[in-house]
Amino acid sequence: MPNNTAIYGSQFWMQFQRKFVNWSLVRKILSMAIFILFWTILVQFIDYFHQIPTPKAVFLAIFELPVPVVLKNIGISFFRVLGGFFVGVLIGFPVGVAIGYSRILNHLIFPSFEMVRPIPPIAWIPLTVLFFINFESQAIFLTFYGAFFPIVYNTMGGISEVDICLPRAAMSFGVGKKLMLWKVILPAAMPQVFTGMKLAMGFAWILVVAAEMMSNKGGMGYYVWYNHAVMDYPHVVLAMGIIGLCGAICSVGVGVVGNYFTRWQRFV
Amino acid sequence: MDNNSLEQNNEGRITIDHVSKVYDPEGANVRALNNCCAEVEPGEFLVLIGPSGCGKTTLLNAIAGFENITEGSIYLDEKIIASPDMNQSPGADRIVVFQNGALFPWKTVLENLIYGPMVQGKMFRDEAVAEVRRIMDKLGLSRSTEDLYPDSLSSGMKRQVEIIRALINNPKVLLLDEPFRALDSMTKSLMHEYLLEVYEITGKTIFFVTHDLEEAVFLADRVIIMTTRPGLIKAIIDVDIPRPRDFHVLATVQFMEFKDRAVKAVREEALKAFEAGDRELA
Repeated sequence: MPNNTAIYGSQFWMQFQRKFVNWSLVRKILSMAIFILFWTILVQFIDYFHQIPTPKAVFLAIFELPVPVVLKNIGISFFRVLGGFFVGVLIGFPVGVAIGYSRILNHLIFPSFEMVRPIPPIAWIPLTVLFFINFESQAIFLTFYGAFFPIVYNTMGGISEVDICLPRAAMSFGVGKKLMLWKVILPAAMPQVFTGMKLAMGFAWILVVAAEMMSNKGGMGYYVWYNHAVMDYPHVVLAMGIIGLCGAICSVGVGVVGNYFTRWQRFV
Repeated sequence: MDNNSLEQNNEGRITIDHVSKVYDPEGANVRALNNCCAEVEPGEFLVLIGPSGCGKTTLLNAIAGFENITEGSIYLDEKIIASPDMNQSPGADRIVVFQNGALFPWKTVLENLIYGPMVQGKMFRDEAVAEVRRIMDKLGLSRSTEDLYPDSLSSGMKRQVEIIRALINNPKVLLLDEPFRALDSMTKSLMHEYLLEVYEITGKTIFFVTHDLEEAVFLADRVIIMTTRPGLIKAIIDVDIPRPRDFHVLATVQFMEFKDRAVKAVREEALKAFEAGDRELA
């Protein structure tokens, strides 16, 4: 009998691989390595891109980072993002519930939203100067505005798409009209509500960076723009990375809260 | 004192008296039900069958109190439960098991099961839990499912939970709206036997809507055949196959004969509906 295992290598090695080598992780790390390699090649060997900092330059910039300044700017941006986001939740969620639940309110409110929504939020920047004198309120208004529509639309969608059988079943059990929203509709809509909140957090970061680039009142957007002005590009890229990280942290935060409210879904 | 949820009783007569329903969205005037008369005896297993769109779900929803009717009246025992001048009034005395299931996905199986008594304030939590467990044991639902969320159950088990969730309310009638339609055929046949077992144990009146003929004949005491547009009752077949029934029934000549009769009646209707559809399109 020929020994088949000889063709594929020893059985010991195969079992060892299966047990101790996490191939999916290896592939994921490979993806990142290829990205950095691609970046390096682009910058090193194509003249056109020679002003763009190399990964190495960006890495070395970490050690020159003015940590207190950056931390302060991160704090400022976080304040604006979270401020706008929470105002967005506070106003957007009830509005979404109202226009998802009541047809009359939907007809009264939704069309005007549809008129405004296609305008990219960034286009509002000049007008905010008219609304608010103080930059802080301008920035918070913009992050609020970015967060508002994703929250409203997803809350509305989540509520209006609840399977009609659920409230019907609850009605048979004796749940009255007044409690229906609280006991049945809202819990059922939660997954989509949190989908909206995740999107909203992303938009809040986009808006805060744009707003900060327009002024000199600090924040990570300002920090990027400042380094651009002094032509310190490694720090520009580094600051971009930090902004990305902050956004990711916020998204994870929303995810954690969302998982708590939709914990029943994780068992699917 | 015995408020036993599985007590056999002779309640649960549904009287459907000249019921019509006209949908009138923007004056389209669609007649979904036309002068339906039927009576479901207490403790009877009645199956309503007809081609899709014939108004059978409309009738079930009217009995359940989810939709109002435009003419006639429906009684449950002596109580009027639907008439044109009544508001929709669902109640725990007639609970529906839905086609796609309506377990609350954010509640565990146990929380789902005790939902009715808790909402109605009929029992303390401990009592409700004890009662639920008693019924689970009796109807063969494993207690190990208690703390699971519905989405982690198999589709057959979800229906099982939903049937028990209905029964804990001690309803007078059980309304089933094509409850096994979405199941694969293996699970479906298991659920048929399960439902028959539940029926033997509880003796509840069951009003079952389907368009599956074999299912209808296998389960029913009587099969009511409905026609399409306007929905009216065309024929009633008494299925005199002795109970308790199990899957062996499916291979008997007697079963085939009943099925054949039902096929003929339904086929005529299906053809009519088919041709009518063509004409409407033309």
